[in-house]
Amino acid sequence: MSRRNVELLFLVIAGAVSTMAYVSVYAGRFREINRLSIVYGLAFVAIFFVLHLLVRFMLPQADPFLLPITALLAAVGLTEIFRIKPSLALVQGQWLLVGAGLFVITVVLVRDHMRLDRYRYIMGAIGLALLIATIVVGTTVNGSKLWIHAFGFSIQPSEFAKLAIVIFLAGYLNDKKALLSVPTHHVLGVPLPATKYFGPLIVMWFLSLAMLVFMKDFGMALLFMSIFVALMYMATARIIYVVIGGGLFAAAAAIAVAIVPHVQDRFNVWLDPWPHAATTGYQLLQSLFTIADGGVLGAGFGRGFLLYADRTPVVPDLQTDFIFAAIANEMGLLGAAGVILVYLLFMWRGFRIAVFAPDGFSKLLAAGLAFAFGLQTFIILGGVTRLIPLTGITLPFVSYGGSSITANLMLVALLLMVSNRTNVVRGGSDLERRRLAERG
Amino acid sequence: MNKAISRIFIVGVVLFVALVVNLTWIMVVRAGWFEDRPENKRSIAKELKIKRGELLGFDGSVIAGSSRRSGYYFRDYPQGTFAPQLLGYDSVRYGRSGIEQQLNDVLTGKATDLGVQSWIDRLLGRKPKGADVKLTLVPAVQKTAQQQLAGLKGAIVVLAPKTGALIASASAPTYEPTTLEDHWARLSADPAAPLLDRSVQGLYAPGSAFKVVTAAGGLDYGKVTPTTEFIDTGTYVVFGGTVTNYGGAVFGANDFTTALTYSINTTFGKLGNLLGRKRLVAAMQRFGFYQTPPLPLPRGEIVPSGRYGKKGLLSPDAFMDPLAVAWAACGQEKVLATPLQMALVAAGVANGGRVMKPYYLQEVTSAAGDVVQKATPEQWLVAMKPATAAALNLMMQRVVNSGTGTAAALEGIQVAGKSGTAERGDGTNLAWFIAFAPADDPTVAVAVVIEDTQSTGGEAAAPIAAEVLKSALAQPALP
Repeated sequence: MSRRNVELLFLVIAGAVSTMAYVSVYAGRFREINRLSIVYGLAFVAIFFVLHLLVRFMLPQADPFLLPITALLAAVGLTEIFRIKPSLALVQGQWLLVGAGLFVITVVLVRDHMRLDRYRYIMGAIGLALLIATIVVGTTVNGSKLWIHAFGFSIQPSEFAKLAIVIFLAGYLNDKKALLSVPTHHVLGVPLPATKYFGPLIVMWFLSLAMLVFMKDFGMALLFMSIFVALMYMATARIIYVVIGGGLFAAAAAIAVAIVPHVQDRFNVWLDPWPHAATTGYQLLQSLFTIADGGVLGAGFGRGFLLYADRTPVVPDLQTDFIFAAIANEMGLLGAAGVILVYLLFMWRGFRIAVFAPDGFSKLLAAGLAFAFGLQTFIILGGVTRLIPLTGITLPFVSYGGSSITANLMLVALLLMVSNRTNVVRGGSDLERRRLAERG
Repeated sequence: MNKAISRIFIVGVVLFVALVVNLTWIMVVRAGWFEDRPENKRSIAKELKIKRGELLGFDGSVIAGSSRRSGYYFRDYPQGTFAPQLLGYDSVRYGRSGIEQQLNDVLTGKATDLGVQSWIDRLLGRKPKGADVKLTLVPAVQKTAQQQLAGLKGAIVVLAPKTGALIASASAPTYEPTTLEDHWARLSADPAAPLLDRSVQGLYAPGSAFKVVTAAGGLDYGKVTPTTEFIDTGTYVVFGGTVTNYGGAVFGANDFTTALTYSINTTFGKLGNLLGRKRLVAAMQRFGFYQTPPLPLPRGEIVPSGRYGKKGLLSPDAFMDPLAVAWAACGQEKVLATPLQMALVAAGVANGGRVMKPYYLQEVTSAAGDVVQKATPEQWLVAMKPATAAALNLMMQRVVNSGTGTAAALEGIQVAGKSGTAERGDGTNLAWFIAFAPADDPTVAVAVVIEDTQSTGGEAAAPIAAEVLKSALAQPALP
């Protein structure tokens, strides 16, 4: 079976699973559902069918699993949002449409990710500009400054900055990896490369520190620092960068806990939420109660206790940062672990694309994107389950929010491009190779 | 490069495995623990979907009903404010308290002893239906008690001495249960503590009302008889201190009945030392002091009476010097009692020395309409011999007929009682009156305490006790 037919088959399976979830919610809350929402359901199927056709035409040898995984996660997210607040699901559906549009634009405009390597410094500048803009003109929501309000929309630029920074780092580090790998001197017996190549590390460290202090967000800072450290390591295979990067970040985090009250609150709540049960720890504890209540099998889609009698969610921000609590409650341990497994599958496909990619830039790009995706998932899931301090970050494809779903669909587009190129170079037809060559 | 990429992937896998392990820990291993945390109000909110059983008065009228609004059930109170502190609340935001918490499993149909139909429902996975609970509270008496306390601070407890049934329990200031959630912040911050159930949690110096306990001990241990003679000079000097009478009164020669009738402190101080520390404490314990009364209420919502120190209830074996014993025998010193405990004292004398187990649950009717549980009165303690109780009963009649408790007298019905006035040192008094009636065959016992008054127990509390007794004795049926 061709890659595209495999993709279609799995899209159909994802569609079937989504339909069942949707029907379950429908059965539980049929009073609030009208025919219009069925139209939206069909629109969802149509969106992914169009994306499938685009990939079939433009990226015929791309990985067949990423798009079905994306569809499944988006469907789970939409269904759960719909179940929590039907009106929001319709908005989220529109965001999905915008994201699909950007997916198409990315594939059509970029055509081949290798072209992005040429614009690496522009990408780096865009990423930096987005983050600085957030710090300068951002709005504080729930104690963190992650949002820019413009033209009636709220945009979370860090979601897009993530992509830009990964593209920049993949290009930059692929270029400089040889220099960064060669020790020129020793400090305290540790072999180190020339000091000037530490420049980017220091810049990233300051960037992370700035994010901690000015955005007051531990999660995003951790995400960016980790992306950088992981890419440094993958480019140079030198563990020293992980050690230094980790140490610097730990120092930055310690400083932030000491001087930024919001970060301090989050940290204290993580250590012991019980004394803060009515205040700063309320949200996390309600999340834990809601998750614990799911049991092994869960209450079933649309059947969990997620809303109080006046329709307010049992956990504040249930449809965004805490959507996993709703999923765990309704799908139980099996369903929640299943969702985690789906994320792991996504990450695995991403790293697999990286391993098979024929060149360093493609490898670092794919691995960087897959790592960013996986780590973001871990940070929010770890946060809502108190494995790590809680931080306001979205669950890719599932949380309510336009920036997140749009940026992550672009991330999928980039991974598919890398994968298509890899498979064409390694064994595509002559026609496919020729078309690829024309793009570059 | 591939090796490093693989390693990073493995790190990712490890992180995800940690997520699943942690999730298993939360959702399976610790799920019950999370559910039981008091901060977790999910089960309360979920139970709003169950038709909560009604709370009925002894006359069968609904005190707390259950009405449905958009799929959820909410409490309604057809009789308005009705012993709200005892009934308690069932709030998603603030949790549960009182009887609502104590009987939650019954009221939500989860208790295991609710009849065959509830088992069938359970097996079929049907949503349980709450069972209705008929209480021993008699609405007419409860309302009288609440009216008597209107505008005052204090509490009234009415018991049926022969059964131990709680006929009424009022605590003032009070609150309106329907608007509790809206006014929570104000009510919980109010220094007058309207949310506190003074009847079972209010610890007051019992003052001279406690002399009934001392007298029971003195008579039962054979240290005195109703006719034993004492001389009062206005002071009783003991262990470097003095015991004086209320208002500095001097009574001269008096027998023991007269000492109770006029509440002569010097005589009771002397009796305290005739008994000694151990027997005085034993007399208290035989009325239930030093243990939490077995009225079924949530932990911490009912407190024991006894001698209290800075760190709470003192041990019955705690040392007292003779001066302390003398004052304790007059219900002062470190002795503190709840209105329920003092009502139990009155009920114990009324019931020939046998103190019945207090209860408020008359019967439980399952959702299917079957009576699945019925009250069975049980004896709790023996406070004194029947002969002692008979003698003390007569002495307490004298208090009402010609002593400090004349304001408690009722026309055509002999009342027995004892007043108490505890000076608080800030110019205000605690006014007590404990009583029972009819004296020859008592069916009602009462304890009244009024805080922040300038009057004595005989002036402020005795008339209230009379009104409550009158209301109770006018009822066609009492539990």
